[in-house]
Amino acid sequence: MDLTKDYFSNLGLPCSYQIDLAALADSHRLLQQTHHPDRFAASDEAEQRQAVQTASYLNQAYGVLRSPLKRAIYLLELQGMEPLAPTNTSMPMDFLLQQMQLRERMEELPAAADVEAELEQLADELLVMHKQLQTDFAAAYEAGQLPAAEVVVRKLQFIEKLQQECNDLEGRLLD
Amino acid sequence: MALLQIAEPGQSAKPHQRKLAVGIDLGTTHSLVATVRSGRAETLADSKGTHLLPSVVRYRADELPQVGTKALQHLVDDAANTIMSVKRLMGRGLQDVTRLGEQMPYIFEACESGMPMLRTAAGLKSPVQVSADILRVLAQRGEASLGGDLVGAVITVPAYFDDAQRQATKDAATLSGIQVLRLLNEPTAAAVAYGLDNEQEGTIAVFDLGGGTFDISILRMQKGVFEVLSTGGDSALGGDDFDHAIANWICDERNIQNLTLAQQRFLLRQARQAKEQLSDTAVTTITFADWPETSCPADIELTREQLNSLLDPVIAKTLRATKKALRDGGMTIDDINQVVMVGGSTRVLRVQEKVAELFGRPPLTSIDPDRVVALGAARQADVLVGNQTGDEMLLLDVLPLSLGLETMGGLVEKVIDRNTPIPVARAQEFTTYQDGQVAMAIHVLQGERDLVQDCRSLARFELRGIPPMAAGAAKVRVTFQVDADGLLEVSARELTSGVATAVQVKPSYGLSENEIADMIKASWSNVDADRGARSLREQQVEADRLLASITIAMEADGERLLTEDERQVIIKQMETLIVARNGDDHHAIAKQIEILAKATDTFAGRRMDDSIKRALAGKAVDNI
Repeated sequence: MDLTKDYFSNLGLPCSYQIDLAALADSHRLLQQTHHPDRFAASDEAEQRQAVQTASYLNQAYGVLRSPLKRAIYLLELQGMEPLAPTNTSMPMDFLLQQMQLRERMEELPAAADVEAELEQLADELLVMHKQLQTDFAAAYEAGQLPAAEVVVRKLQFIEKLQQECNDLEGRLLD
Repeated sequence: MALLQIAEPGQSAKPHQRKLAVGIDLGTTHSLVATVRSGRAETLADSKGTHLLPSVVRYRADELPQVGTKALQHLVDDAANTIMSVKRLMGRGLQDVTRLGEQMPYIFEACESGMPMLRTAAGLKSPVQVSADILRVLAQRGEASLGGDLVGAVITVPAYFDDAQRQATKDAATLSGIQVLRLLNEPTAAAVAYGLDNEQEGTIAVFDLGGGTFDISILRMQKGVFEVLSTGGDSALGGDDFDHAIANWICDERNIQNLTLAQQRFLLRQARQAKEQLSDTAVTTITFADWPETSCPADIELTREQLNSLLDPVIAKTLRATKKALRDGGMTIDDINQVVMVGGSTRVLRVQEKVAELFGRPPLTSIDPDRVVALGAARQADVLVGNQTGDEMLLLDVLPLSLGLETMGGLVEKVIDRNTPIPVARAQEFTTYQDGQVAMAIHVLQGERDLVQDCRSLARFELRGIPPMAAGAAKVRVTFQVDADGLLEVSARELTSGVATAVQVKPSYGLSENEIADMIKASWSNVDADRGARSLREQQVEADRLLASITIAMEADGERLLTEDERQVIIKQMETLIVARNGDDHHAIAKQIEILAKATDTFAGRRMDDSIKRALAGKAVDNI
C-alpha cells in the first residue's frame, strides 16, 4: 500500500463527499485484517514496524473519512485549501446570531424545569442542523463552489463544538 | 532419518505440527494459564490439579523464590519477603508506591531508573522481577502440560492500563523468557472466550466485578474485528464492599461497637458466607459460634430480600459507572446485544439480576468468571501463532487515556484523545517561544486534565541544535506513534533544519488504578476549575511576555526616549502587574496587562519613530 496516496484511493472509494459508510467500514476491516501488526506477530522487526505504520494510516484514514466534518475538511485540503486556517474567520451574521442564541439556551439549561427534556430537544435540533449542513456541503463541493463549501465546513465545526458541549453538559447534569 | 529432521532453532521440524502457545491472565490476587487443545480452550493445572495460582512470591536468601500457595502460607510469618498484589505496583514510581505503603508491609527503595525496589531476603526486587517470577511458573506449567517449548504467549492487562503499566508487563514477560505475542485487554479476552467473535456483529458490555475493583468495558464486534469503544469503572469498588455492608448491618443489628481486628475478620468471614449461601437459599442464619470475645451476641437471620437491600447501594454504583461508559462510547442501553460477566463477585445473584434489569437481557454467565479471561487469551494466542488458518479474528483496541505535550504555562495540549483506535500515529507542530531559542524540552503526558500537574508525566526529552531564529519561526513537529499493544514512541523534528530526535517512551512509573479512575472523574467535575486554571496560566504567560519585552525596551531606550517621570509611571505599572501576575485572579491580570500596555503606548510610538529615523539616516530619499 502506498501511504503517500490519499485516503480515498487507498480505501478503494470514489473521491467524493457522499460515500457509502458501510463500504468504508468493510474496506477498513478488510485492509486491517491484511496489514494489522497481529498478522506479523512472528515476523521480523522491520516487517512489524511497517505493519504498525500501515495500520496507523488505516485507522487515521478511517477516522477522517467516517466523520462528516473531518471528511469535508480533508476534501478541501486535497484541493489545496485550508478551511480551518486561523485567518479564515468571517462568518455570515445570521449564523453567528443563531449560534449566540443556542449558547444562551445552553447556559440557561441547567435551571430549566425539565432538564432532561430540554437537553434532548436541543440535541435533536443540533442534529437536524448538522444533517442540513452535510447536504449543503455536498451540494457546494460537487458544484465546485469551494469558497462556499469552506463556509459550510466552518459552520459544521461550530455545530460539532456545540454538540460536544451539549454532551459534556449531559454528563455533568445527569451523573 | 534423524539427520534430515535437523531444523533451525525456532523453526518447526514438522511444518504441520501445531505451535504451542498459551494465554496468561496475570491477575492481582491470582493468575492463570490456558491453552487451546483439540479446538477447546482450557486452563492448565499444576501437578496437584490446582488451576488458580495465587499471585504471591516469597523471596529467601540463597534459595529459589516460592510462588503461589507455598508463598501464600508465609504471608503472616514472613510478611516483608512475601510479595502479593504486585500488579498494583506495576509501572509505578516510588512516590505512588510509598503512598500505598500503609497497606503494604514491604520495604521500598529507589533505584537509578526511578523504579521502586522491594527489599527482600534475596536482595532488591523490582515489581517487574516479581511479576516475571509468577510468569515463569505459569510458562513452565504450560510447557510441562503441553510437552514442548512455547512459541509465545498472549498476556492480558486491564483495558485502562497506561503506557507505563503495559510496558512493565511486557518487560516482565521478556525477563521471564516469554515471547509476547500480544498484550490483550481483559474485557476483550472475556468476549473472545464466549466466542462472540464468531457472531456477525454486535455491541458487548463486559461487566467485571472483582473483590476490590470494578471495570466496565463497551466493545463493538463487527465481522471479526473487536473495538473497545470505552472503558470505565471504579478501582475501589468490589465484592469486599458487599461483605462490609453485611458486616456493618450485623454490627447495627447486634449493637456491636469498637471492633477488634479479630472480630472484624470474623464478621467479614460470616458476611461472605452469608452472601454466598443466599445465592442458593432464601434465608440464612449468621452465628457467633467462634466469636472472639466472651459475651456472644445472639444469632441473626438474614433473608435474601434483606441482603438485596444491603447490596443494592453498592450495585447501584456499578450501574451508574456502566451508564457513564455507555455515554462515553456514544452508545445507549438498547445498542448492547450481549453482556459478559467477569470476576468472582458476579456470582452474586443480585448482581446478575440488576445487570439483567438494566440491559433488559440476561448476562452471559456460563463460563467460570474467574477463568474466562485466561480462556479468551488462549484462543487469541492460538490465532496469532497461526494455528487457526482462515480464522479472521482481529482485535482492534483503543488508547485508554489521552496523550499530550506540555505547552507554555504548564498546560497540556492533547495530541491523541482517549479511545482513539490503535495503532495510531499523530503529529503536532509547535514553535519556539523566545528569539534565538536553540533547544526545546519535550514533556510527554498522559491524562484527561488541562494542567501538567494533574496528568501523569511519561517522559521528558530535549530537541537540541535548532538553528537560532526569531520566536515563532522554528517549526517543531512532534510525532506520537502508539503500537497495537498500546506502547508509545515519540519523535521530534525541526522542519526547517531537519534536526531530529526520538525516544521510546519507557517510563519508570505509571498511574495507579485509582489515579486513572480519579483523573477521568476529575476531568468531568473539574471542567470549570480547569477552565479557570487555564485562563490564569494563559494570562500569566501573557503578562510575562509583556514584562519581558518592556524590560528589554527600557534597558535599551528608556533613558534616551523617556523623561524620569514617564519612566517611573511605567515602572510603577510593571510592579502592579507583577503583583497581579503572582495572584490567582486572571481577570485582575488581564486588567493590569491592558493598563500597562496603554501606559507604554507613547514609549512604543517613540521607539518606532526612532528606529525609522535611524534606518533612514544617511540614506538618500531615492533609495527608500
